[in-house]
Amino acid sequence: MYDSRNIRRIIVAGLLLAITLLLAFTRIGFIPVPTPAANATIVHIPAIVGGILEGSWVGMVIGLGFGFASFMQATIPAFKDPLVAILPRLFIGVSASLVFSAFYRAKKQTLYIVVGVLTVLVLAVVLILSGVFPGLLANIQSLSEASAGIAAFKWWQGLIVGGVTVALAAGLVFWLRKEDRGIVATGLAAAVGSMTNTVLVLTMATVRGYFTAGMSLIIGLAQGIPEMIISIIVTVAIVAAVRQFGRRKARL
Amino acid sequence: MASLEGLRHVSIGQYLPTGSFVHRLDARLKLAACVALLAALLLARGYLVNIALLIAIIGLVTAARLPLSYLLASLKPALPFIVILTVMQLLFYGRGTGGSAVWVEWGSLVISAEGVQLVVVSLIRFIGLLLCVSLLTNTTTSSALTHGVEWWLRPLTAIGLPGHELALVLAIALRFLPILGEELEAIGQAQASRTITTGTVSRWHFMAGARRIANLIVPLFVSTLRRADELALAMQARCYQGGKGRTQLNPSNWRTADTFAALVAVAVLAVVIILRHFPIP
Repeated sequence: MYDSRNIRRIIVAGLLLAITLLLAFTRIGFIPVPTPAANATIVHIPAIVGGILEGSWVGMVIGLGFGFASFMQATIPAFKDPLVAILPRLFIGVSASLVFSAFYRAKKQTLYIVVGVLTVLVLAVVLILSGVFPGLLANIQSLSEASAGIAAFKWWQGLIVGGVTVALAAGLVFWLRKEDRGIVATGLAAAVGSMTNTVLVLTMATVRGYFTAGMSLIIGLAQGIPEMIISIIVTVAIVAAVRQFGRRKARL
Repeated sequence: MASLEGLRHVSIGQYLPTGSFVHRLDARLKLAACVALLAALLLARGYLVNIALLIAIIGLVTAARLPLSYLLASLKPALPFIVILTVMQLLFYGRGTGGSAVWVEWGSLVISAEGVQLVVVSLIRFIGLLLCVSLLTNTTTSSALTHGVEWWLRPLTAIGLPGHELALVLAIALRFLPILGEELEAIGQAQASRTITTGTVSRWHFMAGARRIANLIVPLFVSTLRRADELALAMQARCYQGGKGRTQLNPSNWRTADTFAALVAVAVLAVVIILRHFPIP
């Protein structure tokens, strides 16, 4: 009944929780970045690593610890609200774990197809929204009377979004060709985990009325993107070293 | 390098043994009472109730013989940030929903009575929550806290969730926190001896900053996960079988004072919830 896998899960959760607390309560867990908030956090990385290595439950427990630490340490009133500080953090490890296992188990061909389909979908949506087919756009707008979320793009905005999408997809395909599948899965899991943190926390803060929607969007872009990049770099380095993915295999 | 010194002294909410009656209360009760007070703070509406709660919490802190200035000291570095956020919230809150009185209007900047109330209440709430959590961690040892958490998680075990395991996770984390702190310090010195600097860099070179942090963090994770293997083996060798039939070294005993304190905490929460339905300023 009590297998070694279970014991290992408990211990990894405990130790990564300790690292979370260590990063949170010393200033190591914060990297200075040129944004108004001045610091990008890496405190959520143990939750992502725990989710990748030992599954959703471990990720969730570590996320709970992260939430609790940020709740205890909060200097902004918004983070003294458990609904903002703790609840969203539960899902960092969970989403990272799901993304990792989905991508790690999939074949490369399947991944190429998924990336291709997603790109085509995004491009189609952008095309429709930028008013290339006026009839369709009118239909969509009449569907959503408020049309707050689906405001029509201008053609150049559509071009930028489309360009970024194609560039991201091309980069991903190139990365998949070059690197081990485990590395790509880890990187994507880190990106999604980091985004989960940013998006859910700011959404909760907006819903609870601490920030206005505009403030949240600006903080999200300024804070979320550097945090995502940093968490991809650090998480890939950690998981590759522990699991011995990719080129590191030969060296060790 | 100087930033790495003192990592081994990491502690969350340092236990301050002043021997007051708050310290002697049962850890299980203190956990629950702390949660009840936090809930009361979050649910309280209006100026009066919030101020009353804050005064009650400050009273408890005094009764626990904890120095108030010590508890609030952690706020000092963040003070400018708090002020800026407060002002922004005040200016950009808008008119609110209830058609409350508008005090200042200048272009798109509106200061309404509702906005002021929101700001003042969130400040009070913020200080109250800080004091409340410090009150728990400063008057309870970490082992007592762990046993308290385990006791409260027992119902989870009944419905098949790993209550005991969660408490064990917490115990491992608290136990290894100083050890990992020492480890991090050692890694920092080892990297410095290889001329890999670990200090801070300009915020514009945040990628370099990330790489420097990675120089510290990656070895820490790798050695920690290796330690996890050893610990797992050690626990298996000692036939760890989960929470069934485990006993405690120092079982806590429930006293009359605990029952009384529990009743007070429940009463406070109940009063706050009832007062939500009355129009009190």
